[in-house]
This record gives sequence, C-alpha cells and structure tokens, in this order.
Amino acid sequence: MLDSFEILHTSGVVLWSRSYAPVGAHIINSLIRDVFIEERIVPQPDDAGQRPTYRKEGHTLKWTAAKDLGLIFVAVYQSLVHLTWIDKLLENIRALFIGLYGDQLKKHHTSVVNCDKFGPYFERQIQELEGANDGASSATPNVKLTPPSSADNDSAEESALKPPVLQQQQQPLSDTSADSTPIPTPDTSRPTTPAQSHLLTAKSRPGAKLSRRDKKKVAVGNSAPASSGDEASARRKGKALAKKNRTWTEFGADEEDPSLILDYSQSDLRDDASEAEALEEINPESWGRKTGKGQFVLKDLDDEMDQIIAEQNAKKGVSSQASGIVGSSLGAIGGLFRNVVGGKTLTKEDLAKSLKGMEEHLLQKNVAREAAVRLCESVERDLVGLKTGNFTTIESTIRTSMEKALTKILTPTSSLDLLREIQAVNGSGRPYVLSIVGVNGVGKSTNLSKIAFFLLQNHHRVLIAAADTFRSGAVEQLGVHVRNLKELSKREGGEVDLFQKGYGLDAANIAAEAVTFAAKNNFDVVLIDTAGRRHNDQRLMSSLEKFGKLAKPDKILMVGEALVGTDSVAQARNFNASFGPGRGLDGFVISKCDTVGDMVGTLVSMVHATGIPVVFLGVGQHYADLRGLNVDNVCRLLMS
Amino acid sequence: MAWYDKDSWLTAALAPTPSTIALTLFVALVLPILVHLFLYRQAAPTALPTFVLVGPSGGGKTALLTLAERKTVAQTHTSTAPLAIEALLPSDVVPASSHYRAPGDPAYERARRFLLLDTPGHGKLRHFATTQLINPTNVRGIIFVVDAASVAEEAGLNEAAEYLHDVLLALQKRYTGAPTSKGPKAIPVLIAANKLDLFTALPPHLVRIQLERAVSTVRKSRAKGLKDSGVALGGEDDGLDQEREWLGEGGEGHFEFQHMEEVGTGVVVKGGNVIGGDGTDVKSWFEWIGAQL
Repeated sequence: MLDSFEILHTSGVVLWSRSYAPVGAHIINSLIRDVFIEERIVPQPDDAGQRPTYRKEGHTLKWTAAKDLGLIFVAVYQSLVHLTWIDKLLENIRALFIGLYGDQLKKHHTSVVNCDKFGPYFERQIQELEGANDGASSATPNVKLTPPSSADNDSAEESALKPPVLQQQQQPLSDTSADSTPIPTPDTSRPTTPAQSHLLTAKSRPGAKLSRRDKKKVAVGNSAPASSGDEASARRKGKALAKKNRTWTEFGADEEDPSLILDYSQSDLRDDASEAEALEEINPESWGRKTGKGQFVLKDLDDEMDQIIAEQNAKKGVSSQASGIVGSSLGAIGGLFRNVVGGKTLTKEDLAKSLKGMEEHLLQKNVAREAAVRLCESVERDLVGLKTGNFTTIESTIRTSMEKALTKILTPTSSLDLLREIQAVNGSGRPYVLSIVGVNGVGKSTNLSKIAFFLLQNHHRVLIAAADTFRSGAVEQLGVHVRNLKELSKREGGEVDLFQKGYGLDAANIAAEAVTFAAKNNFDVVLIDTAGRRHNDQRLMSSLEKFGKLAKPDKILMVGEALVGTDSVAQARNFNASFGPGRGLDGFVISKCDTVGDMVGTLVSMVHATGIPVVFLGVGQHYADLRGLNVDNVCRLLMS
Repeated sequence: MAWYDKDSWLTAALAPTPSTIALTLFVALVLPILVHLFLYRQAAPTALPTFVLVGPSGGGKTALLTLAERKTVAQTHTSTAPLAIEALLPSDVVPASSHYRAPGDPAYERARRFLLLDTPGHGKLRHFATTQLINPTNVRGIIFVVDAASVAEEAGLNEAAEYLHDVLLALQKRYTGAPTSKGPKAIPVLIAANKLDLFTALPPHLVRIQLERAVSTVRKSRAKGLKDSGVALGGEDDGLDQEREWLGEGGEGHFEFQHMEEVGTGVVVKGGNVIGGDGTDVKSWFEWIGAQL
C-alpha cells in the first residue's frame, strides 16, 4: 500500500505530506539528488505510458512535477506491492492541488502554503481510486490479498483501518452532523475516469460498474452493494453482523430490506442526539448504505474535486491545441507577437523547431547525437509549460536553458583535488595508485607522463609501472619519458622511477607487484599505464576486471580523444562497465583538446553518458600542457 | 480610391475632424497612464536588506529559513532551486540601526524586516549562490550554514572548507576588483555551526579552528594545482595577464578568518541548532542579523 505521499517545493520545503508508514527522509532526498540534480537516472516513460519510477531500499517512488509552480509530487510505496492507480493518483492530486492552492503558490517571498484542508481531498481520492481498482480487479487475483511480507501486510491493514479512525477524529471538530460523511467503501465509490483501471480487466467491469453509476445518478440510497471486491465482501460480512444486532432489538426477526428504511431514519435520529458512543455504531453501518445527509456532503466534495480536476485538464487541453479553427490566424499573429515580446506559455510544438536547431548546433560542436538528443530532451522537459520572460524569444530562452543544462552536467558533484587525495591516502601509510585506461592511440602514456610531471612539481615520489606488456616499444617509450622527467625534476626535488617487467606477462600481476614495490620503497604515488584496447572487444575488456581487483587503484582515469565523435558515448560506457560491479571510472582525461578548436563536444558526450567528471584536459605537446576543466569556458565555446 | 482623395483614411486621420481629435486625445491621455501602470507593476516594491544562506547540502539552510519565517521548523528535503522569503526579526532582537527607536514606531517595524535567500548546497547547483555573490544587490550578510557534526569528519570538513574558500575568495575578489579605492560595502559572513544538539557536534570554537585549518589546506592545494583550461582552449586574452588571486595575506602560511577583515569581510562563528530535542537555539544568529540591519 501507499507508504507516504509528499508535495514538496523545489526549494526543498515540504508543503503537504501524509505518511502511512515511516519512510526515511533520505529516500526522497536521494530521489531528488539522483533524478533531479544529477540526472543519473533518465526519467523515460515506460512502454505503457506510465510514469517513471525510482527504487531505493525496497521502496518504489513515483513522481510528477508542476514546473511553473516548482512543485514535486512524490508517492512512496513498497516495491513488493503493485499499485496500478498511483499514476492516476499523482495526476489527480496535482490537478487538485494546483487548482486549490495555485494562487497561493504564485506569491513571492514566502514559503508558506496554507493547505491544512487538503487532507480530506486526498483521502477521498485514494479511496476512490483504490475502490475503483478493487472493483475492477475482482476477476484478476487481487494483489493485496497475497501478502508478500509481513511488513506489507501491516501497512495494508493500517491504511485499511485509517479511514474510520480519521473520520471519528473529524467528527467532534465539525458542528454539522452532515460532516459525519460515511467514508465510502468500494461500493459507494465511483470511478471518475474509468479509462485507466478498466483497461486491465475489462471483463469484470460491465455489470458491477454500470449498475453502480446508475445507482449514483438516481441517488437511491439503499440498493444492495454491487461490488464483488474481496475486501468489500469481507467488510459487508462485518457490517451485516452489526446490523443484525441492532434490528434484532427493534423489530424482532425482521432483518431484510424493509428494515433498512426504518433503520436509516433511526440513524438520523441518533445522529441528532449526537452521542459520541452512538457514532461508532453508525459509522460501520453507514459503510454499506448512505444516509441522505451523508451522501449529500459526499457528493459535494466529489463534485468540487471533479470540477477542479476537469478544469485543470481542460486548461491543459486548450494550451496543447491552441490553434483550433479559423481563428488560428489571429492566434498565430498573437503567437508571433508574444514570441517577440515574451509572456508566451511554451508548448512542445513551439519548442520543436528551435530545439532541432539547437541539436544541429550541438552536433556541429562534435557532441554525440545521443547526448545532444538527451540534452535537448532535458531542456524540453525543463521548459514545457513555462512562460517566457518579458522581451525574450523562444530561442534565447532555449539558449539560457541549454547553458544551464551544460553547466549542470559538467560541474562535478564532489571535489577533484588530486593532491589532497594523495595526501590523505599517504597519511594512512600506503602509496596512492592511479591507473589510466583507454582506446589505442588516444595518448595514455603521454597524459600519464604529464600527470607524473605535475606530481613531481609538487615534490612527490612517483613510480611509473609499465603494465602495457603487449605493444612493442611501449616500455621503452615510458623509459624515455621517465628519463626526461628525471632531468626535469632534478631541481624541483621530486623523484621518479620506472617499474617494468618486460613484455608478455600478465598486466594485472605487474601492477600488483608495482604497488607492493612502491609501498616497500616509500613511493608516494604509483601511476599504472595499461595497454590500449578497443572498447567493444569483450576479450580485451574482460582483463580489466582482474586488473581492477589486483591493483586496487584509488583512481581510474580514462583517456578519451577530443577528436572522437559519436563513438565517445560507447567508449565511456563500456570502459565504465568493464571493472565489474561496484567499481567504475573516476574521471576522464580528454586529450588533444588543442586540435579541435571550439568543437569540444566530446567532453559533454562522455560526461553525459556516464555522469563521471572530466578531471584533466590535455592541451598541447609539452609536459606542462595539462589543465583542469573550466566549466564556464567550455559552455561558452559550445554555445558560440 | 487613392490616398490623396478627400475620403481616404489618411486624409481623415490628418483632418481636424472631431473624431480624430477625440481619438488623439484619448491616446495621448491614456497611453501614459497605461505605461505608468505597466512600469509600476513591474518595479520591485522596495529592496529589503537581503541575507544569503549558503553552505554544503544537508546543513540545515532550508530548515533555518522556515524557522525564520514561521517560527516553527517545517519538514524539508534537498533543495534544487533558490527561494527568497520575507522574514521578521524575533521581537527580543533589536536591529542595530534602530536602537533608539520606540517599539511602536513604524520605522522600527520596518527595520525588522529582511529577506532571507536560500540557495541549494549541492555541488552542481552552487552557481545560484555564486552569481548572487558576484553581483550582490542589497546583500547585508552571508550566512554559511554548516553541520557541526559533519565538520568533525574529514569528508564533511573538506566539502565545507572548499565551499567556504570559494565564498570568501569571491568576496575578496569583489573587494579588490572594485573600481573605487574606497571599496564596496562590506559583506560580513556568519558561519552558523548548526546541529549543536547532536552528540558528535563540535563546539563553535572548534568548528572555527577546524575550518581555518581546512581552508588553509584548500588554499595550499589550489596554489599547487593545475591551471584552468580557460586560456588554453582559445578563451579570451584577459586570462593571460589575469593573476590568480589567493585568499588572505598573499596565500602564505596559516589562514585565519581575521585575515578577511582586511578586505572588509568580518567572519564570525556562532553555534546553534534549528531542530533539537529541547527546542531550537538560534538566538545568536538572529542577534547577528539584527546587528547588520
């Protein structure tokens, strides 16, 4: 069952929440972090057009957002339970909440939204949807009746018990007896929109549902409950017992339909007397049949709710198909005007053309198509439903949004300070191990020696391990680098050496030996060079997992060329996945940046594919031509 | 019908007919009113003094914000967008500018109002805060909220110190890069050591020492670190001659918050807790805010 439902503002303030079972705050926090900030999990709609889900610690989260108001609606439930009506609930609650409190949300300089009275609406929605689902799923095995775990069972029971309890709490507060609305059982509930759940079980529907709706129209109180839901029948039994009990005292053996009318008037009488004890008796009874007053109020709330939802949906419909008939020419002129002046509500169609242009632009900057499409999609998600500012065109709005998206992607989540990490690791008495992987010929050895030079300038003792035992000349090449670096670092005070075992041996073993050698001989940093490998060659890539396990590098950097185009995404993904579960790349070194001018799209492709930050950029042929990433600058280059 | 005909619309528009005069008068009188109304609506009411809440994620910024606004703490989650609220100083705190005003004075009430701007603390979303620091409009102070319990651990301390370093460096750059020799209006910084109710939390003076030490190391490793890619990637020429700036006295030796006084930024550390078993304790922070108002 539903564990928790929260309505929160993008600023982090929870506006309204209801929880049925304790859910840690960190679960929703991690949803926000992973989905909304880091976009690690791409919210792509499933095949059935359902909302995206996010799983964490046995909970499943579904959400929907209202961008223009900055609202996020999150529903949390146990992953073991399959709730089909959550999508509908989110949709309805969003429409309801915006309809009821939209004006309050538009106020500036406040975080307070007075929505204490939202509770009944929410309860009513849940019961309605749950009820509709119950009735509809009578033919299919009811999911709720197969308890997957004891915990789930508890929560199911809890929420089943909740309505009456709540009702009784509300009773003393309200002065009218009308407020003792019978909380509807499945039989009283009526589906607002039959579309969703009925698709699942069309068979069971016709008899029960239709009769129920007819009954509603006529507003006859005392028809026999039509539902055949399991839960409902169970409740009916309990109710029947209670009823029997009372009719016995009044009319002797009379217990069928004739008694109901009398009973019903009597319940009214008692209601007027308004004894607190009597309440308990009435309530279970009113589950099955409705008192006139009770039903009236119930309908009132329902109507209001339906009206708000319909209104919101209608608004959406209008905005999505703004240009309808002949009046479209006027609309088009207005649209053009608004396009220049601003204040236009953006729709998918408005954005499509400009986004296409933006995508082309990104492709020209050497961003892989996949990444460009995803970026444009995220911009579209960001903008649809928003109003353009005053005197801004759609193009400029898209531009700023794209800049924001790029900055967000490229900015690393945590610090990338290599020197501090080395210091911390050395403090624990072992050498810092850094290894470099990549495709053939991207400049692994060159960038390795650049990093070595950088470390030597900071007076570290560096050991370079030649774990490329495959390509002829690889060890000698590193030897030359080490000789040069020794010359260069004499004055600086750093110290560098080469660890090599010749060719043909297993790279992972050499790396592990190098680490133990470094620990023994008091080196601060071990840099491991590996053989270049094609990222889609399973045979070559599989040896990386063993390498990762034996050498246990503190940091694994992948070198990627700035020249590479679409392939960059696959390279980054395959290398990231090659170290086995629980270990991935820690960063990228993008080499040859000086050769591409402003076409630095590879950076974006690689980061977008994996969410791993760019640590270094290679910008020239010299040892000192290694740079950190300047996010603003790269964004400017890409947007120019 | 050509334009020079007697009945053409152009002739009518320029002829002294009553309808033309009426229309012209109408436009001449109504248009300024409409423009005025439009501009009046657009203009921000009055700029209230603003305090910016910064700090790493999970420090309690949004919780403090809700406390300042509602006097109770609302449930909060990770922020993804900035939020400004209008808050009122608690009645027992007197704003420094109106020490001698009577409590009934409307100016006194006005002086107690301020804006509190909450910014997201997640690493990817700090640009909201940094843009605010580069071009502060009526910012009277910066409140750096830090979790006093997480500062006790290396990871939390490093994150906080790095963010703090960036904030202080931005303030210093703002001071040294000012066009006038007098320097811009000083923006003081309050380091609010939050969550002091926790058992593992460090007391405020230890938070201060820890942060000073960590900021020193950040500064040191930044000095040693690699240069930015800005120039190399065909950026502007101004990057070439632009010297990198170091926080504090030339970036040498041990960093102390006192060094920031030179650039017009006083840094104080005060402890408190927004949420707690035996009530909240944020009085010292509000007193600091009151002193800046």
